[in-house]
Amino acid sequence: MISLSTQFNIAVIEFLISYRRTSLGPLWLLVGPSLFVIILGALYSEIGAVKPVEFVPHLSIGLVLWTFISGVIVKSGTIYQRKRPQIMQGVMPLPAIVNVDIFSHLFIVAHQAVIVIGVLLYFQIPLSLYSLTSLIGFALIIANGIWTTRVFGILGVRYRDINEIFQAVMRIAFLATPIIWMPGDFGRGAVMDTVLVFNPFYHFIELVRAPLLGNPVTLLNWTVVLAITAFGYVLAHFMMRRYNKLVPLWL
Amino acid sequence: MTKPPEPKPLLEADEVSLHVPTVLPGEKRILISSADLVRNFYLPKQERKVVTLLSGISLKLQPGDRLGLVGANGAGKSTLLRLLAGIYTPSSGKLVVRGATQGLFEVSLGMHPEATGRENIYLRGLHMGLQLSQIRQLVPEVLEFSELSDHIDKPFITYSSGMRLRLAIAVSTMIEPDILLLDEWIGAGDAQFNKKVKARMMSLVEKSRALVIATHNEELMESLCSHAMVLIDGKSAYYGKVDDALKFYSARKRKSV
Repeated sequence: MISLSTQFNIAVIEFLISYRRTSLGPLWLLVGPSLFVIILGALYSEIGAVKPVEFVPHLSIGLVLWTFISGVIVKSGTIYQRKRPQIMQGVMPLPAIVNVDIFSHLFIVAHQAVIVIGVLLYFQIPLSLYSLTSLIGFALIIANGIWTTRVFGILGVRYRDINEIFQAVMRIAFLATPIIWMPGDFGRGAVMDTVLVFNPFYHFIELVRAPLLGNPVTLLNWTVVLAITAFGYVLAHFMMRRYNKLVPLWL
Repeated sequence: MTKPPEPKPLLEADEVSLHVPTVLPGEKRILISSADLVRNFYLPKQERKVVTLLSGISLKLQPGDRLGLVGANGAGKSTLLRLLAGIYTPSSGKLVVRGATQGLFEVSLGMHPEATGRENIYLRGLHMGLQLSQIRQLVPEVLEFSELSDHIDKPFITYSSGMRLRLAIAVSTMIEPDILLLDEWIGAGDAQFNKKVKARMMSLVEKSRALVIATHNEELMESLCSHAMVLIDGKSAYYGKVDDALKFYSARKRKSV
């Protein structure tokens, strides 16, 4: 049996190796989002659409969470193809392979969290005990990352189209989720709010972002996230019981 | 006086079958017209089918047994080995394995090109289920066997093909399983190293409590195995003594030619 610490060690080594020949190493993870936050924040406040103190923290938290969420989903469709050699050596069970991938996404978030901390300090956003609620939210995001990878991993082995679909959908979902815009802006909030209810990503991000910015998390946010989590684990349970044994054959 | 109870077999397979639902690409008529070629590329016809890879295979491995698998290419030898290794799960029948199995198939796969040889030893070791401390103890032995000396801290991608194979073999054979599964005898290019590999493999075979080997090399099978199974189209056509199995197989081959 592959223990969790072994899975963690594998993920660490693979993470370190993946930045081997770059001079900045994992610091490259900070460059993209930092530029994005600085330029977009400056641009939006220049045209006077937003107040930087409200928008930049909103943007940076949303962006970092989005990198994790979309990273997990986009990569989930190809996970078992990428790990074919490890599967075919017969020791790593599929859930362990999923965990290794989730760990590597967590390392990325851990680096990019520096940007969020920087932004919160710069704008002197007051944190309270209530802000700790966002940790529960993030734990739920991780838990959902695990079941999505388990489910989409199976689907991706059987239907190789999954990967293409995710690439296309996640780009649109980024625009449909309030990351580079704020709900309730420009007096058109009412329209977007009804659309947002049906955007699951919005509820997940709100669960982490709202407590950090001192906004209330709505009951609807909690309900949607917990319902999706429960549904996802039930789905993953049945899919794994039925199809996990076929994954090595379909590879 | 009662006889001591017979030891439980290390591995027991009872009427094991393996079926896979697959989507097969439909008939392609590339050469007929260019219009068909374009249509096939964008909207390929597909056919759903359940393919039977193995059917009704029964076998038993007692401690000390050495089983050889004989059969034509595609008869299901490798599939059976992967099933015994626990990679594939039988669709029907019962498979009981008592002990650690280790398959040596596709030994060269799973190396990380950007990582150094040493890092690859750690990565592969972790993937085999070893702890970091166990791997640390095994590293000197792997180094000695693979003869990589200074190269071990260079990226794997810079290795010559001989060096890659040497490291792969050294890493794959660093633990000694109860039940050893071999898909063809492993060999390396140069004669000197091949001798070493042979000695290492023999010691692995001797230390293991049971062996299953698929090979086309009849001499090797006669010298190594205690009994043999002939596989034809995923079915066990003969299961018994090595000599008889090989005779049966060559008679079958003559008939079909």
